[in-house]
Amino acid sequence: MKIAAMSCIHGNYEALNAVLSDIDEQKADKIFCLGDLVGYGPHPHAVVEMIRSLDIPTCVGCWDEDIVEGLNSCECSYPSVLAEKRGKLAHEWTNSQIFPETREYLATLPHSLREDNMCFVHGSPHSNHEYLLPTMDAFSALERVFSAGADVLFCGHTHVPYVRTLDAGNMQFRVSGPSIEGDKDLSFTAPLKRIVNVGSVGEPRHGRPNATYVIYDVDAQQVMLREVQYDYQATCAAILEKGLPPIFAWRLARGLEYAERADDPTHVCER
Amino acid sequence: MSQPIITAVAGPPGSGKTTWIRQQLAAETCPALYFSPGTGNVPIDQTCIAAEFGQIPTLTDGEESQLLKHLQNGVSAYIELGFYLQLTTVENLLQSFPSRRIAVLPPEIKDTEWHQWGDLIVEGIAVSGEREKLSIWRSPTSGQVLDPASLDLFWYEEMTQGAYGKIHRAKAIFDIADGRSFYFDFAAAFQETAHEEMPLPRWLEGRPQRFSGIEIIGENLDETALGQTLEDCCLSETIMLNYQQQVKQSLLSVEETE
Repeated sequence: MKIAAMSCIHGNYEALNAVLSDIDEQKADKIFCLGDLVGYGPHPHAVVEMIRSLDIPTCVGCWDEDIVEGLNSCECSYPSVLAEKRGKLAHEWTNSQIFPETREYLATLPHSLREDNMCFVHGSPHSNHEYLLPTMDAFSALERVFSAGADVLFCGHTHVPYVRTLDAGNMQFRVSGPSIEGDKDLSFTAPLKRIVNVGSVGEPRHGRPNATYVIYDVDAQQVMLREVQYDYQATCAAILEKGLPPIFAWRLARGLEYAERADDPTHVCER
Repeated sequence: MSQPIITAVAGPPGSGKTTWIRQQLAAETCPALYFSPGTGNVPIDQTCIAAEFGQIPTLTDGEESQLLKHLQNGVSAYIELGFYLQLTTVENLLQSFPSRRIAVLPPEIKDTEWHQWGDLIVEGIAVSGEREKLSIWRSPTSGQVLDPASLDLFWYEEMTQGAYGKIHRAKAIFDIADGRSFYFDFAAAFQETAHEEMPLPRWLEGRPQRFSGIEIIGENLDETALGQTLEDCCLSETIMLNYQQQVKQSLLSVEETE
């Protein structure tokens, strides 16, 4: 069985279409979406409609959550004053464009999805705003997978795809106390776990404008990172046409992401 | 022949005019001053030279009468002529006082009006851009304090990479959140930015009462977007004061530890 996992579409309809065509060619049996359907990009409603019409299981992303609940994240959402101003501008624009039924649909999205030994979240099992960066310390990374109760944790949010195999999870500890006779040495070996970041369909940050997503062969336990070319210039033109800041188009064309970037792997969102 | 009292220096942007003048000023044994006409309310080079050579007067537009007085008192003047000025701008002065004309030119440039104009050609560094296509955008930012992360995004990821037009040269002095002032210098010919801390005390009491600003030379500059982005990089009053308070406490605790 092959599954496709994608995330962070951000209102980029052209990119979504291209990725769905590629998924079709890869003959995936099931598609999962890890949220952030809206925000920054020019076609939030069309993206949501497409996901809904195909009945793709989707969990909620931080941008989807912001549209439902309003902006209430802690400072980790924006690494700079400039990014914050741009992010808020994009939020206000998206908020003004969203149809009521789209907002209602976003409000129904769950925080996580499960399929056998796999778990799908937007940011981390703890928060949609937490970045599971590849540089996160192994202990914390392992804790995130354990807390999801899964063997393979699929996430997005950072917009840069990666696969991380946690295969040396060994913990040794000593218990001592007044009620314990002598010290008690214990050890714990974690089974192999994986974190798969699926990248971003509509707002990549890997230096090229191409969309990224993942095909996972469940039986062979093989991950294939897919990078898909699409007509990003059509999206750039739509950004300008809709009156969004031209800098969004410039950044999209260079695979720089619109405004945000994750830079602190140790931060735990306080939202 | 009398000793030159005025040294006029001209050349394309980024060829090394200011660097050459700084070298001369460092070696000067007689009283000297620096004047760069046409820089308006964004005197970046003047500010750098004033900070580096505290005893050397630096003059800006509107201070021409002081320039005359200094010259009459025998003070040597280094006058930098930006590419945006006619080479005849200070011709009257050059005719009235003993003078020399220095053209700082990269070796690949041949037969220009600078060659005709200069008494001496000093070999400069490589430059980019055709003079006729270049425009200049300046903005004072005095009183503003910039968020360093935003400045990184604006300067390194966007401005110098062409987000607001093709940039050939950019210079700036900015006050940042921890109270320090930094000089930034980008030259497209080398695709890199040099930056250094200005030899000035940290400003930790409200809005800085000293010069800061930016000057960009390029083609097809989106001045509106440049201005808006720069404004969006600035800290609000509340956040600026909060930072200043934190830095003061941090410096105090370091002093107590020592």
